[in-house]
Amino acid sequence: MSLPLERLLADGRDRWRRLDELLDVAAKAPAWELGPERMREIVRLYRLAAADLNRLLAATADPELIDPLNALVGRGYRFVYGARRVESFGGARRLVRFFTREIPAGFRGARRAVVVASLAFGAGALLGFGAVAVRPSFAEDLVPGEFFTSSPRERVAEIEKKEERIATVAQAADFGSQLYTHNIRVSFLAFGLAAATVVGGIWLLFWNGVILGAVAASYVLDGVGVFFVAWVGPHGALELPSIVFAGAAGLVLGHAFWFPGEVTRGAALRAAFPTVWRMLIGTSAALVLAGLIEGSFSQLSAKTVPYPLKIAVAGVLFVALSLFLFGRRAADEGRQGEAT
Amino acid sequence: MSRAAGFAGGFRVRRQITTPEHVRVRLEPAGPGSRFLALLVDVLLILALTALASSALNHLLPKSLSTLAVATLSFVLTWIYHVGFEVRREGRSPGKAMLGLRVVDARGLPLSLPQSFVRNVGRVLDFAPVFYGLGGLVALLDRDGRRLGDLLADTLVVRDEGGSRRRMAAADLPETLRREGQAPVDPELARLARHRLSLDERELLVALVRRSDKLDPRARYDLNEQAGKHFRRKLGLDLPHLSGEALVRALATAIAAKPGARR
Repeated sequence: MSLPLERLLADGRDRWRRLDELLDVAAKAPAWELGPERMREIVRLYRLAAADLNRLLAATADPELIDPLNALVGRGYRFVYGARRVESFGGARRLVRFFTREIPAGFRGARRAVVVASLAFGAGALLGFGAVAVRPSFAEDLVPGEFFTSSPRERVAEIEKKEERIATVAQAADFGSQLYTHNIRVSFLAFGLAAATVVGGIWLLFWNGVILGAVAASYVLDGVGVFFVAWVGPHGALELPSIVFAGAAGLVLGHAFWFPGEVTRGAALRAAFPTVWRMLIGTSAALVLAGLIEGSFSQLSAKTVPYPLKIAVAGVLFVALSLFLFGRRAADEGRQGEAT
Repeated sequence: MSRAAGFAGGFRVRRQITTPEHVRVRLEPAGPGSRFLALLVDVLLILALTALASSALNHLLPKSLSTLAVATLSFVLTWIYHVGFEVRREGRSPGKAMLGLRVVDARGLPLSLPQSFVRNVGRVLDFAPVFYGLGGLVALLDRDGRRLGDLLADTLVVRDEGGSRRRMAAADLPETLRREGQAPVDPELARLARHRLSLDERELLVALVRRSDKLDPRARYDLNEQAGKHFRRKLGLDLPHLSGEALVRALATAIAAKPGARR
């Protein structure tokens, strides 16, 4: 038989209030400051309050009586079971480890998604390039207005004749920061779309590939292909893979969301978070670097930097990025795992 | 995880979690209105912080660096703000704290850093095509009012007064009644109330006393008179000197007193 309601309320009141106070203190103080005594007291009072809630639910349906205790038990549950993870970057060494070890490990764990995203982007680029190569008038339809120039050759001649567009550090910094904030937003969008719809993300990557391929073809057809590679290459070596990676991260999460397999959707998502978050942070860092390069070095014409040098820089950046993210062998990782 | 109609009429659907103690705790998903207001407060705060930091940076740094620093800072602030508060303050940004909301993991636990990050990256999609158009639409369709970012991060915005002292006041009823001492606890009345009244009737008494001061005076009088009539008949009481409300209070006081405190 359940206890009479009024008795339950009268008996429980003091310990509920005490638990409420302790949880308030705990919310403000770090665990070590709380001390083992108070920690144990919270756990004990939480268990009692949980039992009280069960009795109260058996005795009444009055929301005004149940809600406060329900909220209190909810807070207690969050405290007791939500092990307070020390989830800060916590110092320079941890930060370095995060960027040098954990981010590449995240990418290596998502190889398949990276391959799928790269294939979507690559297929788009090939199609865009092929379409414009076969029929140059397609460029007008495929390339967005702001990138479309009727004659790439004339544009290149104009750029090479005039003074450098980016002449000062301030201009480069300003332009660069605009570029990377924009690019990070776009890649987050690719991530979100891939995560929420899978197909939408693949489509976005494919379509971006089509545009890139079409623009490249129109420059190559006009005989200024080298300019194009030297112009897009230095930042594109980091920026294009980054957008593909953001889409790949979205595919990892989208796969967990739509095809959780034998576990619950929540469990599948939680298992994917570490990989996804490392990929997104890595992608953002690469995009900051790419934006700064795009705002400065990429804009320099042959008058200042010879094109072969720009293309060489692009190649080095791409190889370095690929080696950094995917270069370490699985065996090395195994040894490292044993060591830690 | 399950859902249950919170009230008898089932007018509000809640989410329920079962703790390892086998206790069902209900989470009350926040409505779109309060979430929107909380967001508005946060957006205004971010704008104010950005403006403040920008003017400081413009003064402190040379022009070549300040534009880069300001653009980066304002960008970073929009991301760090939500993630930082959600992870450090147990799911509450200042806007949410003001509106009594909290973001929790769908299991009722605190959010992890990657989870909060994913939830907030999802904003880019939720924000499309204009000010949370897609997110708002998804939230309207989802039973727990979750936007896309919440769905992808398996999180939930719940109503939670946090330091629940204010809400705990409701559980202080017995003391309130004893202190008020509208009528001294009559041992005979207490005996009758304890033995002859059903659980439903005692709940009714407690609820009526607690809510009386919130009622319209006319409704308060009518309800208390009706209840008084019912209890007079049920307990065979006469007590003509007591109004309906006085009788209700006397009975509620009698049943609210701790049994050990009976005189």
